[in-house]
Amino acid sequence: MPDMIVEATVNGRKIKKIAQTHQRLLDFVREELELTGTKDGCGAGECGACSMFVDGRLVKSCLVPVGKAQGSEVETIEGLGRTGELSVMQKAFHKAGASQCGYCIPGMVMAATAAIRVNPAVGDEEIKERLGGNICRCTGYQKIFDAVGLARDVMNGRLPATALDEDAAEGGRYIGANVRRLDAPSKVSGALKYAGDQVMPQMLHVQVLRSPHAHARIVSIDTSEAEAMEGVEAVVTSADVPGKDGFGVFVHDQPIMARGKVRYVGEAIAAVAAEDLLTAKRALQKIRIEWEQLAGLFDPDEAMQAGAPVVHDYAPDNLVKHIPIRKGDVERGFAEADLVIEERFETQQVEHAYLEPEAGIGYVDPDGVVTIVSPSQNITHHRHMLAEILAMPINKVRFVMSPVGGGFGGKEDMIYQGMLALLAIKSRRPVKLVFTREESIATTAKRHPSRTSYRMGLTNDGRIVASEIRVIYDGGAYGMSTEGVIRKGAILAAGPYAVPNVKIDTYGVYTNNTPSGAFRSFGSLQTQFATESMLDMAAENLGLDPFEIRRINAMQAGDLTHTKQELKSVSLLQCLDGAEKASGWETGAPTVRGATREDLDGEGCRKPCRLGARFHAEIPAPKLSEVA
Amino acid sequence: MALKRGRGVAGGWYGIARTASIDRASTWAELDDGGTAKVVTGVTEIGEGILTVLAQIAAEELGVRPWEVTIGDNDTARAPEAAHAGATRQTYMIGNSVALACREARQRLYEQMADHWGVEVSSLASRDGEIWSEGSNHRCTMREAVDISKKRGVVPVGSANFTAHHTGLDGQDGSGRPWQAYVFGAQVAEVEVDTMTGEVQVLGIWAAHDVGRAVNPKGVEGQIEGGVVQAIGQGLMEHYETKDGRTTTPGFAKYILPTALDVPKVTSVIVEDPDPIGPLGVKGIGEPAMVPTIPAVMNAIYDAIGVRITSLPATPDKIVEALRKKNESAKAVQSAA
Ligand code: FES
Ligand code: FES
Repeated sequence: MPDMIVEATVNGRKIKKIAQTHQRLLDFVREELELTGTKDGCGAGECGACSMFVDGRLVKSCLVPVGKAQGSEVETIEGLGRTGELSVMQKAFHKAGASQCGYCIPGMVMAATAAIRVNPAVGDEEIKERLGGNICRCTGYQKIFDAVGLARDVMNGRLPATALDEDAAEGGRYIGANVRRLDAPSKVSGALKYAGDQVMPQMLHVQVLRSPHAHARIVSIDTSEAEAMEGVEAVVTSADVPGKDGFGVFVHDQPIMARGKVRYVGEAIAAVAAEDLLTAKRALQKIRIEWEQLAGLFDPDEAMQAGAPVVHDYAPDNLVKHIPIRKGDVERGFAEADLVIEERFETQQVEHAYLEPEAGIGYVDPDGVVTIVSPSQNITHHRHMLAEILAMPINKVRFVMSPVGGGFGGKEDMIYQGMLALLAIKSRRPVKLVFTREESIATTAKRHPSRTSYRMGLTNDGRIVASEIRVIYDGGAYGMSTEGVIRKGAILAAGPYAVPNVKIDTYGVYTNNTPSGAFRSFGSLQTQFATESMLDMAAENLGLDPFEIRRINAMQAGDLTHTKQELKSVSLLQCLDGAEKASGWETGAPTVRGATREDLDGEGCRKPCRLGARFHAEIPAPKLSEVA
Repeated sequence: MALKRGRGVAGGWYGIARTASIDRASTWAELDDGGTAKVVTGVTEIGEGILTVLAQIAAEELGVRPWEVTIGDNDTARAPEAAHAGATRQTYMIGNSVALACREARQRLYEQMADHWGVEVSSLASRDGEIWSEGSNHRCTMREAVDISKKRGVVPVGSANFTAHHTGLDGQDGSGRPWQAYVFGAQVAEVEVDTMTGEVQVLGIWAAHDVGRAVNPKGVEGQIEGGVVQAIGQGLMEHYETKDGRTTTPGFAKYILPTALDVPKVTSVIVEDPDPIGPLGVKGIGEPAMVPTIPAVMNAIYDAIGVRITSLPATPDKIVEALRKKNESAKAVQSAA
């Protein structure tokens, strides 16, 4: 690969460095200049995490070949607080509570800085347009808008600089106070090192060979050619696992790498550690696999039918788990009902889309402790499992949780840490793996898609007398969190309502789809969507206000839950009151009365988006020194 | 083009911490030189702000300031077990264990200071960097107090474990005590639906959630706003699709996420119904924040255009198709009449 010499000014300093022609500006800045505040969230111009200034213009540096930076002036997130003090914009992000996981934040701060540079009087609606190319998965954007507005007002003198300071906690009481996030300065400045930002001396780079097939037997794997390549230090497959090869949150049904067969497209088969990324990638192409295709299973209903392809031998019925809940007698309940409603609901597979793709480092420390640094949401359980997989004493395995750039449940599974351990042991060197966005989307767990059949019986006065709920969750190829997801889905399915007769069945099944796993609200989002839709359908039928029907049925202190647990205190009525009052809700049955409502478009509503209408005439402003 | 508005409401509930199995978390705490504090626990930040929450709890319990608290965490070889970062358990499980560990460390310090001043331990209080004995003029900084304690040979340390006593579900009828703390919530959504394009815009969400006790109200709002927007993503646009197990939505160009232009204004109402069991009264908010949003939005769409979406996401195509079907059946009814 021919090299080139890049000369540029970066954050006010002249630099002259060797670059490889295939590098993007993003790689050059992160790897050659070791400025890792700028993040790689997608590598495709879609997320804005890599935003920086080139010759004063905001660019997505993942789309800029390094050659384009020749002779230019580059400004990264590290350049904003060059004096060691945060810029006004960075302070405003700190004050407003605008950073959560922080991974999108350097890019957001750059885009926000650009907005103010272009138009120092940027309006609230224009701020949204200007940030439209930057994705944040954590904050819901509201606190980010607040931050940009705050910075603008401080910069143009409408607010004093003290508006950025910590608010005093009343009487030194800190519980209940809006203490500014202690980790925000490290996030708004880009100083925080996520796993993908960390390097170790002698570190090797890892790439993973993944299955192109959804269901196929591995007849043979030949890694000899890959292993013989110059620069390749280690290749591992399931044959390298010394202990009991299986992980999972509930059932340990997933091997570190495919063992005997693959069960989904993207499943890891082998991993290579090499001196550089390119060599590791090339080595993957030298691994030879002989396949025997198996019939695939892609529909969760079909999975439950006799004769369906079997995904795991231990579960010939493809059932991960069934959770039944029974209370009272539903048939008697339906017999008492004046109104019975039946409906089916479906929810889709959803990607966590945390802005930080999976990444990790593995090494063996001088005392022989196998150490994994990764954004794992469950280091305790991962250590247990990895010690068994490696057949090592548990205190010889160590997990360190690196800063997590968003998790939402998606980083609870030990899907790559085992490969890092095996490669570190085999190569006796530190190894690092960083997923691409495509790899993260295609191979990591999703929210369980679900199919719900619901039957609800009510009396004319609006009381639910029976609920019968049956849900099939598609668990995909491995068990992961499925058992827990369908359990929580079942327990909460009938909603926070006192229903005397309940019959709930949730099923988790195996298919050859991308595995489903833990995802914020864990199986209950699916079932409660159904319940809350049913309640409105019932309310329309019975001529009841939707708040009213919920109040009539709300659990109260002393009531039994659907699992027959007595509740000591229940705040549902307070929450209903709170939402009703805050929204200024107009009472009435849900009979498609949108057109006649008088409570619309009040405080608490944004203006609808009419695309392009929000840009004010652009005032090309000179660079403001106070934002630099 | 016809733009129609509507509103909908939905409720929801959630259990705090691990489901149907005993949950536990532990912490080590030390009042350190300079009147600072060290708190070590096995797991923490995934973006929700728990580090700051724990520092606030430690500060309040010890009588120092949050920025004087150093949290050591996230390392199975250096910190006591606190289990995992999920299940809306961190403020509840780890927050309570931090409080208990800090109380023990504080007690160590108080015993030394009570002796030093010749007063009753029960007369001591500390807050915001100072320690004093009520009803006397004994008062000094926490920095001085730690120094005095150490010169008397005592490092003020504490450790604690917090347990949530959950039981498994019965295999036949599911009865059991899956959680000891429950939270509830309700949200109202206001939408605008373009009946030509089928596009839905969520303009406002009013979200009332019980969190037990808000340690950092702005952080609670942040969780609600983030949860609401994730739910809107699932409700209206996000769809990971596969064909024969192979994804057809491999990047963010195909897998559509909510951006700054898609999000509603969110008005949060924080309800505080303290948990009677834990020492702090706190519960949690991370996951429950997103539970009522989708049905509230679907109910609002129905209110606007009389179409009930039962299959997520409610994409423009689905809305247009459902409207077409609705109009057809309305016509059929008319012609039959
Ligand atoms: S836009 Fe460049 S990394 Fe996402
Ligand atoms: S804070 Fe924006 S992605 Fe996490």
